[in-house]
This record gives sequence, C-alpha cells and structure tokens, in this order.
Amino acid sequence: MGLTRRDVLMAGSVGSAALASAFFSPRSARSQDETMELVERLTGQTATVSDRLHLVMPAVFPTGYTVPMDLDMDSPMTEDDHVRRIRVFAPQNPKIIEVASFNFVPQRSIVRVSTRIRLAKPQYVVAVAEMSDGMLLMTKTWVDVATNGCA
Amino acid sequence: MSTPIPRVVVPSAAAKGEVFQVKTIISHQMETGLRHDDQGQVIPRKIINRFVCRYGGVEVFSVDLHEAISANPFIEFSLRATESGRLEFIWEEDGGGVYQLEHQLAVA
Repeated sequence: MGLTRRDVLMAGSVGSAALASAFFSPRSARSQDETMELVERLTGQTATVSDRLHLVMPAVFPTGYTVPMDLDMDSPMTEDDHVRRIRVFAPQNPKIIEVASFNFVPQRSIVRVSTRIRLAKPQYVVAVAEMSDGMLLMTKTWVDVATNGCA
Repeated sequence: MSTPIPRVVVPSAAAKGEVFQVKTIISHQMETGLRHDDQGQVIPRKIINRFVCRYGGVEVFSVDLHEAISANPFIEFSLRATESGRLEFIWEEDGGGVYQLEHQLAVA
C-alpha cells in the first residue's frame, strides 16, 4: 500500500506543531523579556534578576482586592551596602501600575515588609530593589486572582 | 467618609538588639479614582499616600503608597530595638490629612 491519508495527516500535524512552537515561545522566556523592558521603561535602568530579593505572594487568590504581599531581602544594611528602597509594580493593573515604594535607612531598617494589594487580573507582580551603589535588583512572582480588585 | 482610624500593634518592651515586629493598619477607603458613582461620574482618587515610622526622632522606615494598595492599608514591618524611646507612626492622606500614633518603647 502506498502513502495513506493517515500518513499525510500525521506528517501535516507534526509539521504544524513544529511551526506553532516556533511562534509561541514558553511563557516564562517571553515574560522575562517583557518584565525587563517594563522595568527599564519605569526606572530608566536595566535591572538584574536576583534571588536575594524575595517577593512572596499566593500563586492563586480568590479576590483581587486584598492580595497579601511579603517582601524581604538579605542585606547588611551598612552605609556602604544597603537597600535604599524597593518598588513594587503590577503591570496589568489599569493606570495604577506602581503599587508602593518601601524606603529603608542604613543601620536602622530591617528589610522585611508585608501588606495587601489590589490586582486587576492574573499577572506577574514585579519588585525592584534599588541598592546603595545604584544597582537595581529585581524579581517577580505570578499571581492568579479571581476578581478585579481595581474595579 | 468617616475619619480614618489608625491602629498599631507593637511591643512595649524589647531586648537591646532584638528585632521586633510592628503591625499597622488604618481604616481608609483608598478610593482609587477608577470607580464611578450612580450618575456615571468618576469618584476622585483619595488615598493614604505616605506612611512614616520614626524611632527616637529618626525616620527608620517609610512607604510611598499608590492606588494599588488595598483599602484599610495594612503595613507590617520589623525594627531593631536600639534604645528606649518614642516610636511615631504617621499617615499622610491626599489633600493634606495627617493621622498619627505614638508609642513608648522600653529597651533593656
């Protein structure tokens, strides 16, 4: 038996799957670039992704009105090496992208805060730490909210 | 809107060098400026836009709040007990409103 319709269909589906994966890169790779671009646009600087900065939020939360957010970072907090402030952004919120800026003082502050924020829809929440030497460190976390907390 | 009422939970005493937690909350609508009333008019933004903590007269922590902070803003943070003194908590509102609380901390 020669080339069957099944063979042709199989070849076709494999081919289109390969084509599709070329267009749709994994979500994490694409979102990392978007987040970096957003931070550059908002701060005028390029940030470095760092695991020293911890942004802890629930992956899934039933309401977008009061989503808990914990932020902490290891830092000696000396005059020469400290965190000046940490800014948090919710890029998918309408107009109100910047959530807050937590400002710290060397020697006196502990870099650990908790609050509750509004999220309009599921998105990556981004934290950017501004260090005493001017460097920016960033991290992000995905939060899936069921309701629009900005409405 | 009724007068915002701030509340703070903070220990009255701490050992020198100890890290202690401060929990703060203030009752406030945190009107985002995105909502509309029954007539379709935009309800203007009115939020607590700044929180400051002073320890012994020195600012040790502050927050610039924007519209995406939830209503009745809850801010929990930590401080190191350095010396006995006064802790001041100040909330500033759009339009100039200021709300304050004070607390004495005894450090052994």
